[in-house]
Amino acid sequence: MKVIDTLRRSNRSLLSAKARTILTALAIGVGAFALTLTLSASNGAERFVNQIVSDNFDPAELIVSADEAVFNRVDTSKPQEYDESFGEIASQAGATTQIKQIDAEDIEKISQVDGVDSVREGVSVSLKYLTREGQKKYVGVVGTFSPYQKPDLLAGEIPESLGNRQILLPEGYLSSLGFVNPEDAVGKTVRLVMNKSTGSSLLAQAQSEQGINISQESLMEFQKEVEFSEDFTIVAVLKKPVTSQPGTELYMYAGIEDTKRLNDIIKEGTPGFQKYSYIFVRVKDGENESKLIEVQNKLKDMGYEAQSVKDTQEFLNQIIGVLRGIVITFGLIALIASVFGVINTMYISVLQRTREIGLMKALGMRKRDVGRLFRFEAAWIGFIGGAIGSLLAFVIGSLMNPWITKKLELGDDSLLVFDIKQIVVLIFLLVLVAIFAGLLPARKATKLDPIEALRTE
Amino acid sequence: MPKEVVLIEVKGVTKIYGKKDNLFIALKDVNLIIPEGATVAITGKSGSGKSTLMHVMSGIDHPNDGQVLISGKDLHSMKRKEMDKFRAEEMSFIFQAFFVEANQTCYQNVALPLEIAEIPLRRRRTLVEKALGRVELGDKIDSKARDLSGGQKQRLAIARAIVNQPKIIFADEPTGNLDSVTGDRIVDLLFELNKTLGCTICIVTHDEELAKRCSMKVVIKDGEIIDLIQRKAVKTVTKSSTKKAKKK
Repeated sequence: MKVIDTLRRSNRSLLSAKARTILTALAIGVGAFALTLTLSASNGAERFVNQIVSDNFDPAELIVSADEAVFNRVDTSKPQEYDESFGEIASQAGATTQIKQIDAEDIEKISQVDGVDSVREGVSVSLKYLTREGQKKYVGVVGTFSPYQKPDLLAGEIPESLGNRQILLPEGYLSSLGFVNPEDAVGKTVRLVMNKSTGSSLLAQAQSEQGINISQESLMEFQKEVEFSEDFTIVAVLKKPVTSQPGTELYMYAGIEDTKRLNDIIKEGTPGFQKYSYIFVRVKDGENESKLIEVQNKLKDMGYEAQSVKDTQEFLNQIIGVLRGIVITFGLIALIASVFGVINTMYISVLQRTREIGLMKALGMRKRDVGRLFRFEAAWIGFIGGAIGSLLAFVIGSLMNPWITKKLELGDDSLLVFDIKQIVVLIFLLVLVAIFAGLLPARKATKLDPIEALRTE
Repeated sequence: MPKEVVLIEVKGVTKIYGKKDNLFIALKDVNLIIPEGATVAITGKSGSGKSTLMHVMSGIDHPNDGQVLISGKDLHSMKRKEMDKFRAEEMSFIFQAFFVEANQTCYQNVALPLEIAEIPLRRRRTLVEKALGRVELGDKIDSKARDLSGGQKQRLAIARAIVNQPKIIFADEPTGNLDSVTGDRIVDLLFELNKTLGCTICIVTHDEELAKRCSMKVVIKDGEIIDLIQRKAVKTVTKSSTKKAKKK
């Protein structure tokens, strides 16, 4: 029997048992539904991550640190041995680990490396508060603006070289600082107030002289001594970014000269002065991956930790991959269940058609063709199930997408990204799974004895 | 006297069912020669082995001993594939319970042997129309088989049996499920086809009336042929059909 005739016959026999076919196919459809949604969700997540990374990082830059703990989690359950050479005891209050810092000498060394274009320190300035004439005081952080970043603006524009006490203000501060609208803020000034880090030791000194009940006057005196402030001009208002790194929505940004100067004033006289947890190293023609890797390896040989944007991206995508794996496993379990459904249905089909098979065999139909007849039937079930499931996932997903996007605050991005190629491959795989499930029943059909099958009574 | 051409030769066929303690000898050293164009009635009580003989002659069942030669070819020494092809091209079956697919149209039912024999699609329609025309079901070609009466169903089965112009048609109690009037019409049809198409027909039957009309009657009891009656009529039939067969 020709393949096309076999195909037509199996198709016909499925149509003659529509309810059974559809119900069995639906079991596969459930798996297809879950898998399609999972795949589309992880597509969306991956795209989202890539968007975050490309919006925030320069692909030609390496993030370099002197300590692997900056990039990798270290085991914080075990005490770390104190190392004199680390310079600063800890980078954060409450930390139980030391992080080796990059100092001026390191920066000098790294700048000399062949292929390095420029070095930018990773500085962010923690404010005591920021305020404006007649407004309340607010906590805040000023990050260093990377020329690579291209944030969405509500008003104003970012000058070619940000500096000279210019600042980018995030949308979130607008009404708090008493601005009516974004345009209103551009050109106005905000006051940044900071504390010198030496303040804590000064306070301790004052306390040791006057006891715990330190007088109001000396406290004021002390505050005057450690507090300093600068006025910055708002040049642009940042739209609340969708794809920023989490926790940085309220970051203000200033040029590197400004943040470095402020950072130096704050840290002067402390062990952390002009020391950095990480720096950004721009590689000449670093868009070319091989050049980037070349420099990355050189830096690693020198004992530094260096990560490219790609590494970060890969790391994030790895996490997504794990989550995807978990959901796919559930989809597969649903599929395994449906495999038994297909086996059952196919067995019934073989039993119901015992006589037909017997007749076909008596008329000289080859074993191979009989088996094929039932494998095709199973394949059809797999195809119908896969198509129904993924179509349903597509329709429901598309309808839900705006709502999900709103709930998760993804802005213009959507969580579910359907990839036709993926769906086609998925359906193809489901057809294979169904054929696999149909193997046993098909074998039963090929083994059927025509004499038994054709016996009347 | 015209020469008889031997179509089927059964040589010392023995068929045993079951194992050691539960042996059942269905056929005991059966010898039989069927000439081309014959109409053969195989009769006997149920359990006598008549169906088994038919199965062995058609290659559905394999004998424990002996040979079945069809046009001189040993059926049971053929390879599986070869035998399937042989069956698809040279043989056909009619059953007591019709075995037509109720959900399929008459065309689809009749086209089955053509599909199995891999006859090209464009030739099928004509062949099916011709076969249905012969059994007077030409107008039912696109009706579902379920809508046919019992006699029509058996005629449909006959159309299916003759569509690929087989040499031999095996009919297992073809009238068993029909009332006598309808049964007679089916029998008339079979004999007519034997004359016009020249195909050899082997009928397993209880029906004495039917058996009397055949050119050969084989009576089986306990796996052995106890009586063999050949009528003269067969020779003229054989002659004309032989010519036809040769023309093909």
